[in-house]
Amino acid sequence: MVDPGLTDSGARHTPAPTGQGFGRVLVAVYGIFALAATSRSAVQLATKFDEAPLAYLLSAFAAIVYIVATVSLARGDATSRRLATVAISIELIGVLIVGAASELLPSDFHQATVWTGFGSGYGFVPLVLPFVGLWWLRHTR
Amino acid sequence: MTGTYATVITVVSLLFAGWALICAATNRRPTLLLFAAAVLLEALLLGFAVGGVVQMAGTARHFARAEFVGYLLGALVIPPLAFYWARGERSRSGTLVIALAFLITPIMVLRVQQVWVGSVG
Repeated sequence: MVDPGLTDSGARHTPAPTGQGFGRVLVAVYGIFALAATSRSAVQLATKFDEAPLAYLLSAFAAIVYIVATVSLARGDATSRRLATVAISIELIGVLIVGAASELLPSDFHQATVWTGFGSGYGFVPLVLPFVGLWWLRHTR
Repeated sequence: MTGTYATVITVVSLLFAGWALICAATNRRPTLLLFAAAVLLEALLLGFAVGGVVQMAGTARHFARAEFVGYLLGALVIPPLAFYWARGERSRSGTLVIALAFLITPIMVLRVQQVWVGSVG
């Protein structure tokens, strides 16, 4: 087998689509979290923004990260793949930092985001998801 | 927002979920029947949402109304999205996507009830 990356000058090795097969399910799970985080932060920002602006802005940020990850994984072209890698990396850092911060300063994070307590309010799926996402991006490369 | 109707949706959804998971485990692509089940669940959820809003309008009690409507609407969009997303995948992954929607729905219904009683939100 000739390395597909070395054959043609222009035609580089094309990665497998990220939104098919197992990726279908992964995108669905990301979609659920995009929905959960978006509606949660919409309610928070609309009804009680003054109570904890930082936590609620963080909530909105998490929502955007999930939306970007969902859409870019579903699209799966070269640009989307890069975007997905960035979004999921941010997601990983976010869940780790917010998770740790909520353990250390519980008073500032009263179940305010999907990442609070490393996603304990969501069966710790938010903690596992970025690892699966990054693995899937590598696997389909 | 308590009562039998919510229980019916929960039970139906869980039965559908079990069925879909068995289909996925036996490597079956989503069948027409499975899509029909999603449509049926959606019809039940539509009734749930209408009933919920009517009940909400009929009470002056203080509870988290924005969350309440949010969860009702959230439950409502899940089956159609799963339907659309599973349609493009002719493998067991498509079946799993529908199974996920059936698994999430009881959680949404539970949240609706919790907000109604006032234990969250």
